[in-house]
Amino acid sequence: MEKGNPFVASLHEVENQLELSLRQAFESLEPKLQPPFSLDIPDPQESLELSRAIVYALLCDSGSSKTHIKHLHAVVTDGYAFFTSLLVGIVVELYGKLVDSAKVQLLWLTKEMVDASSVGLEDLLVSLLRRIGSGDYGEQNVWLCSELVSLFLDKWDCLLEDAPLVLTSALYSFLRLLADHCRVTGIPKLENVKRLEIKFCVKMFREQLHLSLKIGRDLVRLLQDLVHISEFKEIWNDLVCSDVSKIYQLKTSSRYFLLRITPEMETQLRFLLGNVKLGSHKRHQIWFLKKFLLGPEKETVLIDIVRFICCVVHPTNEIIRSEIMPRWAVIGWFLDLCKQNHHVEGRVKLALFYDWLFFDERIDSIMNVEPAVLLMLWSIPQYPHITHSLLEFLLHLVDTYDIACRDMIMRGVASAFREIERKGVVQSLDMFLSNPEIATDLKKKLANLLSCHQDIN
Amino acid sequence: IETEQTVLHCLHNQPNSNFLCTERQLIRLAAFRHFSLLRLELSPSSILSLHRYTSDTHISQIRFPAAQNNINTRFIILDKARSISSPPAASGQSCIALAADETAAVHIQLWGDECDAFEAGDIVNLTNGIFSYVRNGGLLLRAGKRGKMEKVGEFAVAFVETPNVSEIQWSPDPEYPKRYIQNGVVSAYSRIFPPLP
Repeated sequence: MEKGNPFVASLHEVENQLELSLRQAFESLEPKLQPPFSLDIPDPQESLELSRAIVYALLCDSGSSKTHIKHLHAVVTDGYAFFTSLLVGIVVELYGKLVDSAKVQLLWLTKEMVDASSVGLEDLLVSLLRRIGSGDYGEQNVWLCSELVSLFLDKWDCLLEDAPLVLTSALYSFLRLLADHCRVTGIPKLENVKRLEIKFCVKMFREQLHLSLKIGRDLVRLLQDLVHISEFKEIWNDLVCSDVSKIYQLKTSSRYFLLRITPEMETQLRFLLGNVKLGSHKRHQIWFLKKFLLGPEKETVLIDIVRFICCVVHPTNEIIRSEIMPRWAVIGWFLDLCKQNHHVEGRVKLALFYDWLFFDERIDSIMNVEPAVLLMLWSIPQYPHITHSLLEFLLHLVDTYDIACRDMIMRGVASAFREIERKGVVQSLDMFLSNPEIATDLKKKLANLLSCHQDIN
Repeated sequence: IETEQTVLHCLHNQPNSNFLCTERQLIRLAAFRHFSLLRLELSPSSILSLHRYTSDTHISQIRFPAAQNNINTRFIILDKARSISSPPAASGQSCIALAADETAAVHIQLWGDECDAFEAGDIVNLTNGIFSYVRNGGLLLRAGKRGKMEKVGEFAVAFVETPNVSEIQWSPDPEYPKRYIQNGVVSAYSRIFPPLP
């Protein structure tokens, strides 16, 4: 029977409050965790302490797991809500500090919670999905990915009945991960993971198409990176032949854009965009880079980071008017970081402009398109080549993204430009149309786009 | 009557609620017994603010000399350099680093295994620290024998690099011999860790 701290000890670090509360509960209630168990129903406060103690015991002791979980089943009165919330807290705040055996226990506990249809299950599964790192092919990460995709396959029926939307979160995550995984060879364990990911995603499309389509337009963006895989080619053709324009019209909920961003990334990006003044941002940028973007494969996460910034981080007017680091500047920096990697750069730009393509001022937010236009605008004085390359990319996208829906896309981009002018994000589109720094043929194309689609609002 | 729900409601209705909630709101939350459950809804960095509600000194308030171990403060490490003394101190390595908070910057000394325990970007709580002249190091903030430095987080401090309280000249107050007053600024920014271009 192994016993030991499930958390890695760190000498010069203050103990996390959650970790402390779990450990203290365990230390004070340890004798009560062995049978015979008290038949009294614990009062609410005791119940919480007991849950904390059991969580700690389960994470550090795989020998008595069956006993502890039976104990939990016997004393629970809230649909496992509190217990699950503790697990969520551990995944969000302490996952990196768990020793390997504790991670194994955590995944096992998650399956128990699925079987028990616990309250808060969706949060737990989404938190775990967010822990799968991008561009990380180390053993631990591949293991986590493998465990989770297996869980979603094994517990399919349960989840479909109790928490169907979480299956769409899994679909988004694994489609995105698959696109990266398919570009990597030579890692045997990853091959197995890929097979499972394909199996799960195909199952979703084939058996739960209606559910899968709830993801909305970004589903197309994810799927197009996978059409080279034979299983997806058929799915793609079916989708395209049916009514893909309906899918384009469905805006993807912002909760999907959190899935490929870890909690730490989210916190740091929100802090950067909400608190750090432009001019004082350099050190924060270096720290962010060192923590998340070091390594050849890691750049892929920039695609998801840019989508997150555009669609999820919507600063208040107060922040926009202040000196705080604007979104367009951060995105400009990210684009600069990946400029040597054409594969990633193209997809980052697509992520940046995706909401432009189908922009409908009645349902889409101006805040999703603001960063791109401001980046184009503010690059003109000193970096006109950036403006040029972005505008060129956008106009090229209009022509080539989906030829069958070209009209719809032209209308979308034109609406985005017009809304930008109407809301005063840019004083006037003449800043692009009459600017000497921008190539004539681009200006002509843009003028043509705007004039052909004079929608009467 | 204030309940968990009402406090949380106020918290979530702040603009950018993760970062602009007041210390008092956080203290109120901490008072609730189910804090460990509630704090799952707080971002990690707002929890860091909790460490501020004891009467911690801001970096700009640090006075020389403070050779009694009584400085309690919180800062973020901006940059770290290797050994300040050559040959290295007999009892172990030491290094100098640039640290700062929202009010000012300062040079700190890391001693022994502190050198490897802390990295740029780390937010550190110092308790019972000293601020004094160290040979070949200038005016340094450090833990000393009775103080302690502990990491409490990362990244989430909007700091300033000027003034730097280690780059300020102090001289005895002519009226009160045991007191020192600021006599001038040697450098607005750290001369060891100049601001990034």
